[in-house]
Amino acid sequence: MDVKLRFQGSILGYLWSVLSPLLLFGVLYFVFSNFFKLNQQHYSIQLIVAIMMFGFFSEGTSAGMMSIFARSNLITKINIPRWTLIISSTLNSAIIYLFNVIVIVVFFVINKFLPSWQSILIFLLFSLLLYVFILAFSFFAAPLFVRFRDLSMIWVVLIQILFYATPVVYPLSLVPVSTQKILLFTPLAFMIHFTKTALVDKHYPESGQLCGFVAAALIVLCLSFLVYRRLNKRLIELL
Amino acid sequence: MDFVLEVENLSKCFEIPHLRINTLRSAFVNIFRKRTFERFKALNDVSFDVRKGEFFSIIGKNGSGKSTLLKIIAGIYTPDKGSVRVHSSLSPMLELGIGFNPELSGRDNIFMNGMILGLSKKQIYAKFNEIVAFAGLERFIDQKLKNYSSGMTARLAFSVMIHSGKEFLLVDEVLAVGDLEFQAKCMDYFEKAIKEGKTIVFVSHGLEIVKKYSSRVMLLHKGEVLDIGTPDKVIDTYFKKCN
Repeated sequence: MDVKLRFQGSILGYLWSVLSPLLLFGVLYFVFSNFFKLNQQHYSIQLIVAIMMFGFFSEGTSAGMMSIFARSNLITKINIPRWTLIISSTLNSAIIYLFNVIVIVVFFVINKFLPSWQSILIFLLFSLLLYVFILAFSFFAAPLFVRFRDLSMIWVVLIQILFYATPVVYPLSLVPVSTQKILLFTPLAFMIHFTKTALVDKHYPESGQLCGFVAAALIVLCLSFLVYRRLNKRLIELL
Repeated sequence: MDFVLEVENLSKCFEIPHLRINTLRSAFVNIFRKRTFERFKALNDVSFDVRKGEFFSIIGKNGSGKSTLLKIIAGIYTPDKGSVRVHSSLSPMLELGIGFNPELSGRDNIFMNGMILGLSKKQIYAKFNEIVAFAGLERFIDQKLKNYSSGMTARLAFSVMIHSGKEFLLVDEVLAVGDLEFQAKCMDYFEKAIKEGKTIVFVSHGLEIVKKYSSRVMLLHKGEVLDIGTPDKVIDTYFKKCN
């Protein structure tokens, strides 16, 4: 059965989802380039790419977490595979991200910044992997959210912390080397850091590192799908 | 005989906790408290089968397990014990108008609802005019659903359902929403569908409708099958045993 759920977002909604990261960018750029004198090369470009990537992660994970519960009136009435709900609501975030990528391109054009083709490839790969991680998180968190309804509040706080724990506004080189190593173990920091360095410094991650990372992402996805299969069984009765 | 539905020794038990924990906070606060819950046997060892072309009604008081049974047949709940086998394309209509969105036009809602019922876009295009005509909503089809009356919404939903081309309909108390004319229209359709060889499992409290249309009736009481047979006989038992 091919079930497709269309989400009718208003144009204004999409516009807002593009505007809000831009607004965040404006504020952070103003604060950090004027007061903290972070005179990085192409700081604005690093910042906007990092903000968009982080925004994709935070939007996607929260949408994915709510996906099953938000459609509870549907799935208590008809038997549709629950994972389609997770896929469709995270895809919605991916579409918003695509719009944001257009904004990034426009931003590059305005700044007359030409990224190397390797860095574009890396950016695309990491965007895809971001989606993999969002899916992995959602498969695990969506059924869990049905059980624990305060998870969304906790996640909002965690996202806030994560925002400053990942090198979004600051370069990774700003923190002590020992902390850098820990940070690079978190997938989000890894992806955002290497996208930034690839774009600006033409410093690319080693291929071995990359392969390991892709493998890890896929393993995480498989694991979380297994957890989802377990949690999914008596889920409906809790709705 | 070709069976459309076979249900064997079906049991379903709900665990209802005395203290429902649905936040992490309360899970931590009550971490050492013993989990106590009541078991509620919604269905106990239910077996029956439905043949092709039957109008099979299920009656019983509130809480006798009718809706739980239908939800298990529709695949929404998983049974604890026993098995359900469906040998036909099933249209699980536990409620009319699933996925209807009041902010969308009638046209868009037909597509939404149709897709949820498992139709492709092409199939809906092909049947679109029929659906609208049956609902009698040609003039209003591009208006938003929130401007429809509840009767119009019900007609639209019913129309999409019967055009979904499924051979086996599960109908749970859907007629309660419409007026008499709508109910009559539905029953006409059901009669016609049975003649076409479709199968209907029908849950209702409207005993007169059940009596008039059913080929067989099953009586559920406290999750158990009390009686299966001809409408007159089972409705008789219903009055004797359950009141």
